[in-house]
Amino acid sequence: MISNYILMNGHGIYVWLSFSIVFISCAAVYFRTKKTLKKYEQEFLTELQSLTLEEKNNALETSKVARQIFVANSKVN
Amino acid sequence: MFKFFSSSNIYFLIQKLIFFINSIFFLILIIGLTFALVLSPPDYIQGDSVRIMYVHVPAAWLGLACFSLITLLSILNFIFKIKNFYFINKSIAPIGLLFTCLAIITGSLWGQPTWGTWWAWDARLTSMVVLMLFYILYILSFKFLNKEELIIKISSIIAIIGSINLPIIKYSVEWWATLHQPASIKITGSNSVHSEMMLPLMVMLLVFLLYAALIFLMKYKTEIIRIKKKNIKRN
Repeated sequence: MISNYILMNGHGIYVWLSFSIVFISCAAVYFRTKKTLKKYEQEFLTELQSLTLEEKNNALETSKVARQIFVANSKVN
Repeated sequence: MFKFFSSSNIYFLIQKLIFFINSIFFLILIIGLTFALVLSPPDYIQGDSVRIMYVHVPAAWLGLACFSLITLLSILNFIFKIKNFYFINKSIAPIGLLFTCLAIITGSLWGQPTWGTWWAWDARLTSMVVLMLFYILYILSFKFLNKEELIIKISSIIAIIGSINLPIIKYSVEWWATLHQPASIKITGSNSVHSEMMLPLMVMLLVFLLYAALIFLMKYKTEIIRIKKKNIKRN
């Protein structure tokens, strides 16, 4: 019963291979995109940390994005 | 109104959307896969190989849709000089390339049991390869050109020239005798797909759409951070 379902009358290899290729490629692109996003967030924070206290406070006050990245990362750490 | 579209508000909205998509995605994926691999019936001619349709068709549709959107935004960018469109296009292009490649590969895997061959240089298949090449050219223009103005100009030209291929892909099965079957689903008029197969196809299309939206939002968020990083000292 299960082997019949997996074999799909000889079409199983094509069906499972198609779904596997789609799944693996999509997962690979997802993790690569996530990694790049994290990398840029870290680089942004490093840049923010390299500023003087006055510049840093100014950046956090004027940029909502900077504030959100800073807060989100503080929660993680 | 324009204040709402500031990068800060967009960034906040992107975070909310990413969270929303992440929370529903796996549920819809499981429903889609259950329909596609278990509940949907085999075709009376093609047998179980018809299940490949549930990944092949949404991938092909999204590959075409992404390039259509890129072309539209490129034309609008040419006219109105809205820089945001350039970043949107930059985020969409890799998604379109991924889906076009997947459509070609799964189409080849579907072709072997159905037509008895992995590949034929017929009009539909060849025009899809041409679309893939345009995607590669488009992405390479971002990688290898330095000046932003030049990138916008060259990439827009590639997109506009590449868009000539879109109606060729769509109508290739009607204009030429091809191995590929004519369209079974039409926006206007009746379609020849039974509702038992149509439902899984629509659920899988939703899965692909959500995935595309998720990747787009993550890429666009990366672009916003990249720009903000450049401007951080200016604030």
